[in-house]
Amino acid sequence: MAIQINLHKTHRQYAGGKESVDVEGKTVGECLKDLIRQYPPLGKEVFGKDGKLSGIVEVYLNGATAYPDELAKPVKDGDKIQLVYFLAGG
Amino acid sequence: MIPMLTPEEQQRYDRQILIKEIGEEGQEKLKRAKVLVAGAGGLGSPICLYLAAAGIGMIRIVDHDTVDLSNLNRQILHGTADIGRPKVDSAKDKLAILNAAVKIEAISVAITEDNINSLIKDCDLMVDAMDNLPTRYILNKAAIEKGLPFFHGAVRGLEGRVMTIIPGKTPCLRCMYHGDVPQEKFPVIGVTPAVIGSIQATEVIKYLVGMGDLLTGRLLIYDGMRMEFREFKVSKNPQCEHCGENSKRS
Repeated sequence: MAIQINLHKTHRQYAGGKESVDVEGKTVGECLKDLIRQYPPLGKEVFGKDGKLSGIVEVYLNGATAYPDELAKPVKDGDKIQLVYFLAGG
Repeated sequence: MIPMLTPEEQQRYDRQILIKEIGEEGQEKLKRAKVLVAGAGGLGSPICLYLAAAGIGMIRIVDHDTVDLSNLNRQILHGTADIGRPKVDSAKDKLAILNAAVKIEAISVAITEDNINSLIKDCDLMVDAMDNLPTRYILNKAAIEKGLPFFHGAVRGLEGRVMTIIPGKTPCLRCMYHGDVPQEKFPVIGVTPAVIGSIQATEVIKYLVGMGDLLTGRLLIYDGMRMEFREFKVSKNPQCEHCGENSKRS
């Protein structure tokens, strides 16, 4: 059993239209690295130029915010990571 | 002093007074309430309309913008004849038609760190109907400092998000901050802020009446494309610049 990353719809175009991708890793950060290994174009969407998580991307782990230090959060098989796009319009 | 409802008010609000959690007592609480709505655009339109219809005593609307043709797909407080007018003036006129008993204070200024405290003076709560994050954080910070409930909402495309913040008790908007978000000409269609603004107005009414469970510590995300609501648990961030242990709260 792997860890599932659910992609926000703005990101799916960079993952062949997939809504979710199975990944492996022991932390959220490792899982995101595996995601980007599978779909390299997602790299610039999820991470900023400084290598940190983009300010416009939020990470939720099993329905709860993974922030702060989200990349260091441990994960186990069966966990679900959700990438959410930060909205600011009104 | 508890404001008694007039016979006309009892008739106007009859259907919502029938909601047992509201009743006449709840309606009187709404009549006493003073609410700041920050923004008279896509979110501000349904928020103001439903709060005015519900009989909120005073709505202070703050927006520095004027009505533009490109606003009219979603900002339903305004019409073609209002193009070029200050949004708050247009809003005040429409709300007066809907419910003349509601006092509307229309303030056409940009919200800044310097004027926010005077803008929220005497208000019971603040509703976030802004179109940018920097101003939202000004509101959030003021809400925390003054202990005012803050009702957050935001939209993009057919997607929206809502969260209610009770200072001192629940996570705030800044608790979720992890970097700047670039400003953009965001895509949106009117039905999205209609959904999100209506949820914000619902939360305001619930808070004022003292009924139901508020959307605190829970971020509600609406996906109109899939017609799906999802909820995520949000926790207080001890390092939060606005409400954390080391913040400079007054």
